[in-house]
Amino acid sequence: MKTTGATTRRAAVVADPAAAPTQRQRAAADPTDPAALQSNSLLRQWSGPLSSDLTLHPGDFGLGRIPARLRPDATTRSICGFCSTGCSLDVHLQSGVAVNLTPTVDYPVNLGMACPKGWEALTCLAAPDRATQPLLRNPDTGKLEPTDWDEAMQVFTLKFKALMDQHGPESVAFLSTGQICTEEMALLGALWKFGMGALHGDSNTRQCMATSHVAYKQSFGFDAPPYTYADFEESDTLVFIGSNLCIAHPILWQRVLRNKKNPALIVIDPRKTETAMNATQHVALRPKSDLTLLYGLANLLVQGGWIDRAFIERSTTGFAEFAEFVRQFTPDKVAAETGLTVGELSRVAETIAKGKAVSFWWTMGVNQSHESTRTAQAVINLALMTGNIGRPGTGANSITGQCNAMGSRLFANASGLLGGRDFLNAEHRAEVSRALHIAPESIPAKNSLAYDQIMQGIAEGRIKGLWVIATNTAHSWIDSARACGALDKLEFLVVQDMFTTTDTAKRAHLILPAAGWGEKEGTFINSERRFGHIKKVSRAPGQALSDFNIFRLVAEYWGCAGMFSQWTSPQAVFQILKRLSAGRPCDITGIEDYRHLDASGGIQWPLAKERESVISEPVTSEREMATGSATDSLNTGALITDHSPRERRLFADGKFFTPDGRAKFLFDPPRPVAEPVDSEYPFVLLTGRGTSAQWHTNTRTGKSAVLRTLYPANPYVEIHPKDAARLRIEPNTTVAVISRRGRVECAAVVTPIVQPGQVFIPMHYDLTNQLTRAEFDPHSRQPSYKHCAVRIEPTRNGSNK
Amino acid sequence: MPSPPSTRQPLRESDTNDGRTLIDDLLAEQRQLTAVEQFSRAHDAHEVHGRRYRDLLPANAPAPGQQYAFEVDLDQCSGCKACVTACHSLNGLDDDETWRSVGALHSANVRQPLKQIVTTACHHCVDPGCLTGCPVLAYDKDPVTGIVRHLDDQCIGCQYCVMKCPYEVPQYSKTRGIVRKCDMCSSRLAVGEAPACVQACPNEAIRITVVDQAKVRGKYRRLKSEGRNPKSESNPKADNQNSPFGFRNSFGLRASDFGFHNSFLPDSPNPAITLPTTRYVSKRALPGDLEAADAHELRRAKPHPPLTLMLVLTQLGAGLALMDALTGGAARMLAAVALAASALGVVAGTLHLGQPLKAWRSFLGWRKSWLSRELIAFGAFVGVLGSHLAIGRPLSAGLAALTGLLAVACSAMVYADTRRPFWNAPMTFGKFLGTTLLLGGAGSLLLSALATNPLLPRPLVVAVIVLGTIFKLAVENRIFRFLVDEQDPHLTALNKTALLLNGLFGRLSRGRVACALAGGVVLPALMLVTGAGVALPALALTLCVAGELIERHLFFVAEVAPKMPGGRGV
Repeated sequence: MKTTGATTRRAAVVADPAAAPTQRQRAAADPTDPAALQSNSLLRQWSGPLSSDLTLHPGDFGLGRIPARLRPDATTRSICGFCSTGCSLDVHLQSGVAVNLTPTVDYPVNLGMACPKGWEALTCLAAPDRATQPLLRNPDTGKLEPTDWDEAMQVFTLKFKALMDQHGPESVAFLSTGQICTEEMALLGALWKFGMGALHGDSNTRQCMATSHVAYKQSFGFDAPPYTYADFEESDTLVFIGSNLCIAHPILWQRVLRNKKNPALIVIDPRKTETAMNATQHVALRPKSDLTLLYGLANLLVQGGWIDRAFIERSTTGFAEFAEFVRQFTPDKVAAETGLTVGELSRVAETIAKGKAVSFWWTMGVNQSHESTRTAQAVINLALMTGNIGRPGTGANSITGQCNAMGSRLFANASGLLGGRDFLNAEHRAEVSRALHIAPESIPAKNSLAYDQIMQGIAEGRIKGLWVIATNTAHSWIDSARACGALDKLEFLVVQDMFTTTDTAKRAHLILPAAGWGEKEGTFINSERRFGHIKKVSRAPGQALSDFNIFRLVAEYWGCAGMFSQWTSPQAVFQILKRLSAGRPCDITGIEDYRHLDASGGIQWPLAKERESVISEPVTSEREMATGSATDSLNTGALITDHSPRERRLFADGKFFTPDGRAKFLFDPPRPVAEPVDSEYPFVLLTGRGTSAQWHTNTRTGKSAVLRTLYPANPYVEIHPKDAARLRIEPNTTVAVISRRGRVECAAVVTPIVQPGQVFIPMHYDLTNQLTRAEFDPHSRQPSYKHCAVRIEPTRNGSNK
Repeated sequence: MPSPPSTRQPLRESDTNDGRTLIDDLLAEQRQLTAVEQFSRAHDAHEVHGRRYRDLLPANAPAPGQQYAFEVDLDQCSGCKACVTACHSLNGLDDDETWRSVGALHSANVRQPLKQIVTTACHHCVDPGCLTGCPVLAYDKDPVTGIVRHLDDQCIGCQYCVMKCPYEVPQYSKTRGIVRKCDMCSSRLAVGEAPACVQACPNEAIRITVVDQAKVRGKYRRLKSEGRNPKSESNPKADNQNSPFGFRNSFGLRASDFGFHNSFLPDSPNPAITLPTTRYVSKRALPGDLEAADAHELRRAKPHPPLTLMLVLTQLGAGLALMDALTGGAARMLAAVALAASALGVVAGTLHLGQPLKAWRSFLGWRKSWLSRELIAFGAFVGVLGSHLAIGRPLSAGLAALTGLLAVACSAMVYADTRRPFWNAPMTFGKFLGTTLLLGGAGSLLLSALATNPLLPRPLVVAVIVLGTIFKLAVENRIFRFLVDEQDPHLTALNKTALLLNGLFGRLSRGRVACALAGGVVLPALMLVTGAGVALPALALTLCVAGELIERHLFFVAEVAPKMPGGRGV
């Protein structure tokens, strides 16, 4: 049974406006409305205009009862635009315009739930500081002044062309985001590199997912997170490394709590996070000793004979060397370096060994490190050596950060060529040139600089023009004082954003007003490789345009629109992306179009048109068996429609995407951090997410009055009671946190959640990165946000008055 | 500041067919909302979200003596706060209005750190403070479901329920001029739908249960007599059962005072006050040292200028009426000014209301509400005083004075009945009666100076003023017994009030004492020596009134209300 799409509509009301009062009357006499049971008297007003504002009426569309003024005449689904969980939201429409939303009940990702950010996703669209028209800095007054799109585009092309003419194509760069649609990313990357002839471009996904990307690519032969969310429920042992799932991905945590197998829950994290508090074993290691710990665990597993020899033989390479390498990580050595006991180490190894379905999950604690790629691969190695991959409830699973980081990894055309390809590979370039009908020479045979190298290039004056799209470099980039110093050196800074007030936009020479989530259309790919559709349900303010259309406009003014004559709409670009994916591990040729995505509850890649090219295994969980939704159309070779399994994982056949089909054991000796603590800076500064109500630099979540009630307005630093007592720091008083980069002041929260010698500041406040040190993983070039040395001092005006 | 782009170019004529540019087309396209047209589908099989929450609702309606209640499984709550936003969205609340909130309890135990997230809404108490305090019967406890509903159209916006509720439940909206609160989504429950928060919890931590009201009563009423802390006898830090005067006062003190022994929830308000029905359950043994995450926050409370003015003016009026009675009702001027001050005070008080036009119903709550009684008493006082002005007999003067004192006592009860520690009865009565004496004396001194022959013997009046001032300052100073080292792990409400008065409000506190000493001691004493004139009594009265206004302002802003655990970074 195939439906025509996923907007549910109340035909009667739209067709017949006269029906509305009738329904109101019916509601007023509704016997289930308690207010209606009591009639007003002179002395007591049981109902009236103030009460009716809140009186609930049946909302239809499965919504239950809702206030009359919020009653939709239609609903439609859209994927949330904050994190990578990829929850589906039912957007409530009145005359096509979104007025409210609720989480979609029958979507396989969120099962009718959303976190506070999702519930409040529409609120920021109405913020007063939305960019509503292009703003150009007046050279005389130094102020940003309104202009029109024509002049904005002329200045844009004139300035970038002048810079490229004078200083070469490597003198300009873009910094984009994991927050825009896949189609938009692809158009930007293609426009920049193929149309405009520039080379350097990167994205804020460098700050969150570059490590997973590189680690998977090197180990599996392709950037392919293997899991499906059902694995949270199928595991008997879950190992979380550097992941505070409870707070960072609350809707995924729901899946952990729905696990009926009473699973062992190992949480490896220096902090006693919310997730760690729910652990059966919290492994509170020293910050950045994770690689040593993981090698030590591998050694214990080898020594105990707790490995899957058959799987290792059949599906991997490099195990012998790895086993030899980890012999040096004896329990005593590892215990000494991680601050754990030998007993704790053995217990973790034994728990992993005993598990029949062990899944390993990592997030930013791993990815934001100076040796993050090898650490992620150490996690992958554990899964490979114990054969915990390709089966339900297993996997070495990176939980993604941003809503479309996965889209960026495949199709941004920034660090990799479109479709998870390589710019340095001539065959890949040829494939893309054929798929896009463009000359092979248009495709650069050279890699772009990474984010940190672009920032370095700006600081050194080699890069003079920068185009920032939907990210907030001035707040989020590591060692932000230096980053801001670099931005201020630019000859031309264009910021394309929803808001004019971000720390980065304030520095721009030209602001291009962008439509936000909900004001445009396209697809996101979530952590479990699921394509989801986002819809245009709200009108962008003023002259704001979707990022997609801004890129089209740039193509037009640059004079390369001809190359993009087929890139007319996100829907059209989706068909181009299908062509680009053909034969790749991320093949999506089996997805017809947006309607197909919409009707299927999203579709995980791969889904190839031909059954031979599909490398996936349908989930056959007990739950799905029971609900009958596990119909396996892949094995019948039928054209994939909404009968396709809703949750699928990779590598069930033990074949990987490497040329020899085997996964690789990759490893390197651990390296010390660049800035260890010393007597002058005796504390390790950890950074991370504060609450589930905040998103990154808070540019959107800070616009919702409700969300603002759910997180502390002012920054704070967590410090252990022992350290606080020693430094005479009283709870809730202002302290100074000082690193070699900067000095900030914030309130002290005295709590044993952090260990002695460590302090924690959430990343959502702009002062945090004034302290962090710009250190990068050599493989992924991801910044190491989670380790730098600081000292804490009480302030003279300490008490919080 | 980087160098701006160098030039502004003349606008280019875009290539167009019919004068429309690509920009025009794209802007037009941006206005189109295509979701409905492209993705419409029949209004079909979309049943209400019932599957998941069926188990979270009670199977049967409450029997007599029972009611609905929230039950929160602390072990399941992960602190995602979706309940707060879902309640906000599904009930169509104002931008910053939330009927549910999430806080945290911390254990400072270094070996076993714990952060227990706590979600909280209205507790639909067995003996709701909001309901008993409301002067216009704008609250209704449903006889069948026990749900405490607020009648938004009945509300006059006096916010007394905000003061009466120990859990910060009723929320006042300035723009609407009324309070609103959680009604457990009663109309959803009536048709078998789950309340918004229950629907939205990913971990099924919130459910609706049926509880026996008698059991709730039995469970918490015992705390009144039992909540005694053995170490409290001499140490004001732990002295939670003792009022500043050493009277045993089992109510109103923050249940941090009961710590883990609070069988409702650790470090939360004393449940004996209103008998909350929400049950917090956990299979884990919660550690004994749990403390609210915001236990160390010193927050100033909301100022209430109209109430400050009203209390001081009506007490001036009552004081003058008392002085008038001492003259045997001979001093018309005293009675007239007393009437004017009291009437002005009552008018000032109405400025506090969000819906003053509905305030005529405020007598309705007289059976339970001290606010109702206060308003009736001041109505009577103004009436009796007016009659006395017409009659002018000693008896009528005495009656007026008595009514005035009764009305002031009702004012004191309005605050004492909230059972908030800083507003405890001895201190509040002391302050209000002290103000009455002090201002009555200072006012009559000035009026005597203006009158042709002295209304009262000056030494008597001066004695009243000086003694009144000293008494008042002594009463007020009791709070500083609770001044402690801020670093101390547990701060009671009274500790925090003392810290606020000493720290954040230190200048105001000192200014208040200076006003009182100058206007209430030094100048009156001087007048005994130098004789009066008009200037000195006028200055004395001005200083006294200023001092009392500051004191009454501090009475509101330095008050630390009991609250559910909140906190930063939860």
